[in-house]
Amino acid sequence: MDYFKTRITRMEIPARDHVILWFRGDCPVEGDPGQFVMVRGNWGAHPILPRAFSLVEVGKEGAILVRNVGEGTNLLASMKQGDELLVLGPLGRGFSLPSETGGGVALVAGGVGVAPLVFLAQRLVDKGVKPVFLYGARTGADLPLRDHIDEICDLTITTEDGSVGEKGLVTAPLERFLQTNPTASVFSCGPEAMLEAVARVSVAAGARCQVALESPMACGMGVCKGCAILDAAGEYRYVCSDGPAFESVEIFGREP
Amino acid sequence: MSDILAVQLGPLRLVNPIITASGTFGYGVEYADIMDVSRLGGISVKGISLEPRAGNPPPRVCETPGGMLNSIGLANIGYDAFVDRTMPVLRRMGATVIVNIYGTSHDEFAELARRFDKVEGVAALEVNISCPNVKEGGIHFGVSGKSASGVTRAVREVTSLPVIVKLSPEALDLPDIGKAVQDAGADAISMINTFRGMSIDVETRKPRLGAVMGGLSGPAIRPLAVRMVYQVFKAVNIPIIGMGGIACFRDVLEFFLAGASAVQVGTANFTDPTIAVKIVDEFEEYCGARGIHPADLIGKVEIQEVK
Ligand SMILES: Cc1cc2nc3c(=O)[nH]c(=O)nc-3n(C[C@H](O)[C@H](O)[C@H](O)COP(=O)(O)OP(=O)(O)OC[C@H]3O[C@@H](n4cnc5c(N)ncnc54)[C@H](O)[C@@H]3O)c2cc1C
Ligand SMILES: Cc1cc2nc3c(=O)[nH]c(=O)nc-3n(C[C@H](O)[C@H](O)[C@H](O)COP(=O)(O)O)c2cc1C
Ligand code: FES
Repeated sequence: MDYFKTRITRMEIPARDHVILWFRGDCPVEGDPGQFVMVRGNWGAHPILPRAFSLVEVGKEGAILVRNVGEGTNLLASMKQGDELLVLGPLGRGFSLPSETGGGVALVAGGVGVAPLVFLAQRLVDKGVKPVFLYGARTGADLPLRDHIDEICDLTITTEDGSVGEKGLVTAPLERFLQTNPTASVFSCGPEAMLEAVARVSVAAGARCQVALESPMACGMGVCKGCAILDAAGEYRYVCSDGPAFESVEIFGREP
Repeated sequence: MSDILAVQLGPLRLVNPIITASGTFGYGVEYADIMDVSRLGGISVKGISLEPRAGNPPPRVCETPGGMLNSIGLANIGYDAFVDRTMPVLRRMGATVIVNIYGTSHDEFAELARRFDKVEGVAALEVNISCPNVKEGGIHFGVSGKSASGVTRAVREVTSLPVIVKLSPEALDLPDIGKAVQDAGADAISMINTFRGMSIDVETRKPRLGAVMGGLSGPAIRPLAVRMVYQVFKAVNIPIIGMGGIACFRDVLEFFLAGASAVQVGTANFTDPTIAVKIVDEFEEYCGARGIHPADLIGKVEIQEVK
C-alpha cells in the first residue's frame, strides 16, 4: 500500500455521467485487477471521506473510471487536468487469476462495474488469454469503454431497453456461454442483484465465479471496520481488506 | 526527533501531545507502510474486549455534513489475539500504545485492566465508558457520576498503568463526571466520544445505518467538544486529552486554549491517513518559531470579564 499526492494528467468522458481520470505521481502506480484506490481531491474540509474506485489501468499513469452519482463523484468529475489528487492504494484483494484457463473465461460487467473487468481483460490478453466480455447496462448510452473492450475481447452487450445489443439481462448470454463452457472461470462486478444472479447461474453450471463487491467505506484500509458485509455463513467480512473480490460461494452460497 | 513537544500527562510521558483516536487508526500496525508511527505521541488502539466482537449489522458508516456516523459496534479481535499477534508488532514499530478497553461490567473492565498491567509495551489504558454503539456497558457507564467512578475505581485498583477515562458527551453533567472519575483515581480524562445521531435516506425511507443510530464524529462536533473541554477544565485538576473534529493543526491549538493538555485525532485519519504526523510537524514548527512549549497554551483562552 502506498499513499501519494498525484496530479490529474488526463481526463476523458467515455459516456454521459462518466469520466476517466488518469493520474501520475513520483512513482509508478501499481495494483492488480479488482484492487481499488481511495481518492480525494484537494477540495478542503467537505466532503471529509475519500471515495473508493477500482483501478482501471496501472503503470506510469494510473486510471479510474468515475460514474457521477453524488457529491464526491461530482467534485471529481469537475476537476481539471493538473489538479491535485490524493490517492491511497492499491488496496484490498483483487481477483485471483486462474492458473488454468482452458475452460474459458467470462467477464460479466454491469454498469460502472466494468472498471475492474477492463483491467482484468487487459491482464488476461497480455497473458495470451482471450476472455469473452458480457456487458450489461440499462441503456446504450451507459456503456463506457465499450469500444476499447471490443478491440481486445469478444464483446456481447445487453441493454434492458434493447437500444444496443441484446435486449434483456446479461445473465442470458452468460447462460449460453456456460452451456458450451461449463468449466469456465467467471469474474463479475456490478449491482449486487446482478452479482447474485451471475453467481447462481455460474455455480449451477459448475463454473468457478468470483465477484467484486462494494460497501460504504471510511478508511479503505482495514482500520475502521465500517465496510462489513454478511457472508453466506453469517459472518462479517470486510470489503476493503477481505475483498473487494470474493469467491461467489463465500458470499452467496452454493444453493441455487 | 527533538522533544520540544514532550508532554507529561500525570504519570504518562509522551514525545508529543498528538495521539490517534481509538477506532480511527486500527491497531496502528496497518500504517507501517505509509508512516513512522513512533513519531506520534501515542496510538489509542481500537477498543479491545476480553473476547472478540463481530460488530453491528451493515451499513456501518455514512457521511453527514462535516462529519460521519458510525455504528461499528466495537468489532475487535479480542484480548488474546491483540496481545499475542498485534502487540509484538507495535513494540517493534516503537509505537506508544494506549490500549482502549471496553467491558460490559465492572468485572470485565477490571479483568482487562489486570491482564494488560502485565503486558510489555503498554503505555496507558483508556477506559471507554462512552461507546454509543453497544447495547451493554458503553455509554451507560459514562452518563452518571456514580457509574463512571465505579468503573474507574475497579480499573484503578488492579493496575499500576496510567488510567485515562474517556467521557461521553451525552453525560448529564460533564464537569461532575470529570470530578467523579478524578476522585476515583483517574490519571487523565479523554473527551469526547461520539454523539448519537441518525440519518435517513429519504428515497428509500430507511435509516442509513443498519443499527439505525450511530455515533457522530468529525468537524461537525468540534465546537461542542471545545465547549465541553473548557467546562471540564475548570472543574478538574487532572490533564484532559481533547478530541472531536480535529482536522488540522489550528484545531489542536483551539483545544489547548480551551484546556486540553494533549489531543486525539480521529475521523481526520480517514481524510488523510498521514494527517497526524503532519500535525506533529506543524506543531513543532509553531512552537519552535515562537519559543514556546505546548504546556504554555493549556487553558489560555482569553476571556474578557464583563463587569
Ligand atoms: C471497492 C469499491 C470500488 C468502487 N469502484 C468504483 C468505480 O470504479 N467507479 C465508480 O464510479 N464507482 C466505484 N465505486 C463506488 C463509489 O465509491 C461511489 O459511487 C462513490 O463513493 C459515491 O460518492 P458520492 O459522494 O458521489 O455519492 P454520495 O451518494 O453523495 O455518497 C455519500 C457517501 O456514501 C458513500 N457511497 C455512496 N455510494 C457508494 C457505493 N456504491 N459504494 C460505496 N460507498 C458509497 C460515499 O463514499 C459517501 O461516503 C466503488 C466502491 C467500492 C467500495
Ligand atoms: C469509526 C469509528 C470508530 C470508533 N471506535 C471507537 C472505539 O472503539 N473506542 C472509543 O473509545 N472510541 C471510538 N471512536 C470515537 C473516537 O475515538 C473519537 O472519540 C470520536 O470520533 C471524536 O473524534 P473525531 O471527531 O476526531 O473523530 C470511534 C470513532 C469512529 C469514527
Ligand atoms: S473501509 Fe475501513 S475497514 Fe474497510
